[in-house]
Amino acid sequence: MTKQATPAKRRKIASLDQRKARAGWWFILPFLIGFVIIYLPIIFDSIKYSFNEIHNIQGGGFYLEFVGWENYREALFDDPTFVTTLTSGVKQLFFDIPAIVIFSLFMAVLLNQNMFGRAAFRAIFFVPVILCTGLIDEVDAGNALINSMSDTSSSINTGSGENTVAQVVSAADFSRLFSNMQVGGEIFTYVAGLINNIYDIINRSGVQMLVFLAGLQSISPAIYESCSIDGASGWETFWKITLPMISPMILVNAVYTVIDAFTDATNPVMSYINNVYNEAGGMVLSAAMSWMYFLMVMVIIAVVVGILSAYIFYQKRDT
Amino acid sequence: MNAQNTENAPKVLKESKNKIKVDFERTDAWTRFRIKYLSWHFVGTLAWWLFRFVLLLGISYVILLPFYTKIASSFMGRDDFVDATVKMIPKNFTLDTYREIIKENKYGEALLNTTILSVVCALLQTLMCSLIGYGFAKYNFKGKKYIFALVIFTMIVPHTTLRLSMFMKFRYFDIFGIFKLLGGGVISSFKVLKFSSLELTNSFTPLILLSLTGLGFKNGLYIFMMRQFFNGVPDELEESAYIDGCSTFRTFFQIVLPISIPMMITIFLFAFSWQWTDNFYTKVFFTNTKKWILMPGIVKIPKTLDTNYAAQNLYSAAIRNTCSLLIIAPLIVVYLFCQRYLVQGIERSGIVG
Repeated sequence: MTKQATPAKRRKIASLDQRKARAGWWFILPFLIGFVIIYLPIIFDSIKYSFNEIHNIQGGGFYLEFVGWENYREALFDDPTFVTTLTSGVKQLFFDIPAIVIFSLFMAVLLNQNMFGRAAFRAIFFVPVILCTGLIDEVDAGNALINSMSDTSSSINTGSGENTVAQVVSAADFSRLFSNMQVGGEIFTYVAGLINNIYDIINRSGVQMLVFLAGLQSISPAIYESCSIDGASGWETFWKITLPMISPMILVNAVYTVIDAFTDATNPVMSYINNVYNEAGGMVLSAAMSWMYFLMVMVIIAVVVGILSAYIFYQKRDT
Repeated sequence: MNAQNTENAPKVLKESKNKIKVDFERTDAWTRFRIKYLSWHFVGTLAWWLFRFVLLLGISYVILLPFYTKIASSFMGRDDFVDATVKMIPKNFTLDTYREIIKENKYGEALLNTTILSVVCALLQTLMCSLIGYGFAKYNFKGKKYIFALVIFTMIVPHTTLRLSMFMKFRYFDIFGIFKLLGGGVISSFKVLKFSSLELTNSFTPLILLSLTGLGFKNGLYIFMMRQFFNGVPDELEESAYIDGCSTFRTFFQIVLPISIPMMITIFLFAFSWQWTDNFYTKVFFTNTKKWILMPGIVKIPKTLDTNYAAQNLYSAAIRNTCSLLIIAPLIVVYLFCQRYLVQGIERSGIVG
């Protein structure tokens, strides 16, 4: 009797919000468990290994020897190529981001229009997303056959043996055009390099194209209609409507491009780290290297987000 | 009024059940043609149309050409690589390359193993990422923002960074040292279990564990996509289910899941094909390449094919290409069936946040 009377024992009735919050925890529980049990220890171990030297025990097992910053020092000062690989990789990344984002935006706008064979083009454009990843990428990298027989760059054959796009471009005297326009030779080499690597860029902009397409689909057609009634041309509509409305997606894609580019196993820094991993005693060294690389890319992401978020337009929703 | 109307009204010439032929004053064909086609507007549209078509065609060519090259070269005999006149079409048509790879590199075994692994992983990942994404999209609870930041974090950390520790984790699998404690690793007399750590490598377990917890390859991206998709699903749908007395999980499985099928197929397609061509996890977890033959294991040159020849480089490249063709062949079939959903699912997701 007394037990029933005590108010502390009475079950509290949870409000709807509380119950919903509890259900939310249930849904994300798998991730939470995995993160705490598997992922967090892995992260900590990885950081720990980067400060240690690893020794194998005969017949299985291993022990660690704490060496402090030794691995980091070795990566930065003893390794002859790591720093140069890192800086050139980061530089490459900065050049690739605008190219991939602009290309995928342009392609998404094209693929979003009504035209002959749209479904077929879309199917073809997303082939690289599915088929040119991971393993296939690795097989294709440095593929003598594709390079020699029918690479994109050698498919334009001028007949004089000069057959890369850069040479075609220079044959067409674009360099003089560029210098007349008072822009430096660097931009010229940059553009020519991009054209040379068009296959690479297409391969890497699949997901971004999908994201842009989704963004374009969600812009209300009423806005375009009112624009055309007011007499705006397609060009004006793009700059005044499409671009501001799609700008949040540009941020998402820029960040995704950075992540994708630097987690990709084929980029020079990653493959260098992979090579180090396979060397004797290079496991911990590679952990140290990749943590440095990770920090660097975090800085890049912060810079990209900082620059882009100044220009982003968020549509106010009335709901 | 009435009279005027009848005067201007088109005269009916012939009328049948389905057709009607009417006589009215029509601008003559030439004027219509001139106005429609001989204007700058039309020229502009036509030029744009052509430009767009040629551009898309060109890029499609760039995408598809390597595939064609691979396919063509996979049928070429050894002599074709020396012959300069052979460009795109094989002269000595042969199936030897395929036969040797399938036989010697044990393609069948790799296909079976990889199919089981990819299907299981992709199904688990699709389901778990939908669950997790749904939790993030539809429920408000304390600390949601921070946990979602953790999801983004798992996406950003490159897995190469975690390579060593991931291998170690699953080679000597342990949960907070519990197994070590029970197995006598800490106090040798206190021994409940026979082992102090589990060896999970060289089995499907690590990948299944990672898939179950939404930590697999690019799962952060899938969770993100599913969250965006569920954000766009109207709340009223679930509310009406709740009012009818449906429980939370039943609502999810019976109301929400069926309408998110296109999106889930998209995720499945990504998960399946990325798991299929994955060579990071397979390298880390399957160290015993003799016992476990997976797709990365078949990319090698069969000994029976003699590459020691004039155009050795090209020929071995062609053999490797044939391997990659064999790897992606099942993917192409899957893609042909699923590509419709790929664009559909993404379009409906309304990723714009």
